[in-house]
Amino acid sequence: MTKLGILIAAAVAGGLAPFQAAAQSMTPMRGEVSSFTDAFAVRVFPGNPYDKRIRVEVHVYDQDFQPVAAEISPGAFLLAGQASRPVLVVVPFDGAADRKVRICTESIPFPGEQTQIRAQICGKFFGHRRF
Amino acid sequence: MKFARAAMAAGLLVGCACQTASATTGNVLFNGSITATCTLTVNSNGTMTVSSNLQSLSSHNAGGSAGSVQVDTTGGVQLSVDPVTTTTVPASDVTTTTWTPTFATTGAQTIAETGTATALTVPGTSTIAVNLAGTKSGTDRFSAGSYQATVTVGCE
Repeated sequence: MTKLGILIAAAVAGGLAPFQAAAQSMTPMRGEVSSFTDAFAVRVFPGNPYDKRIRVEVHVYDQDFQPVAAEISPGAFLLAGQASRPVLVVVPFDGAADRKVRICTESIPFPGEQTQIRAQICGKFFGHRRF
Repeated sequence: MKFARAAMAAGLLVGCACQTASATTGNVLFNGSITATCTLTVNSNGTMTVSSNLQSLSSHNAGGSAGSVQVDTTGGVQLSVDPVTTTTVPASDVTTTTWTPTFATTGAQTIAETGTATALTVPGTSTIAVNLAGTKSGTDRFSAGSYQATVTVGCE
């Protein structure tokens, strides 16, 4: 895919993120994207609802929760308390005309406890390929 | 001449009286769109204790405690707990343990304890109680040492 194609796909995906809100774990959680290239892009905004810095990872899964080889920038990062930041996800169609994926924001659990809890927020995104 | 002037003045007055004040109005429209959102905040992790027969290590046992997670949502999402895949057990424990995570909610929406994905339809804040139970069967027993497991709470 050309850089121009990626830019177009990213620009289309930009329409999915109308606003950033504080203390959102991830927004948006639903989206539909049309792309003229062999990949589509989605921009999501993971948020940190805590007052302290946490480590966040973004993963992409298919309908059966199998990992998808998507480009995630950045895929893992530290996020300040009460902050959010954009993450660009470029998902290949892999030859298909349409593709449904889950983009998930996962927080790394606090260490040192017996039963740790990992919070995972997943959004469902539908990409359509236009020829 | 005087009559003509008076007639003209009267005509002007009539003309003024017929002209109404025109008020201009316009409508300003506001649109808002809210997509489904979900925020999970882990309040506290859980603690498991072992049963007297050493075949259950659970947050339900006496002295154990559930983990607590706050969920803030617009509704239209689904809560779930994933199968436990990340565990740490003592080296002396070489037998199989079956881990069963469950959750229940109170607050904006009440969900009875379950292990299956459940829709959150009511907007607002709910508190999720996350429980985890490890069980051994047959002659297998939990052994001394530190156990640790990670439960993934999902909102989709």
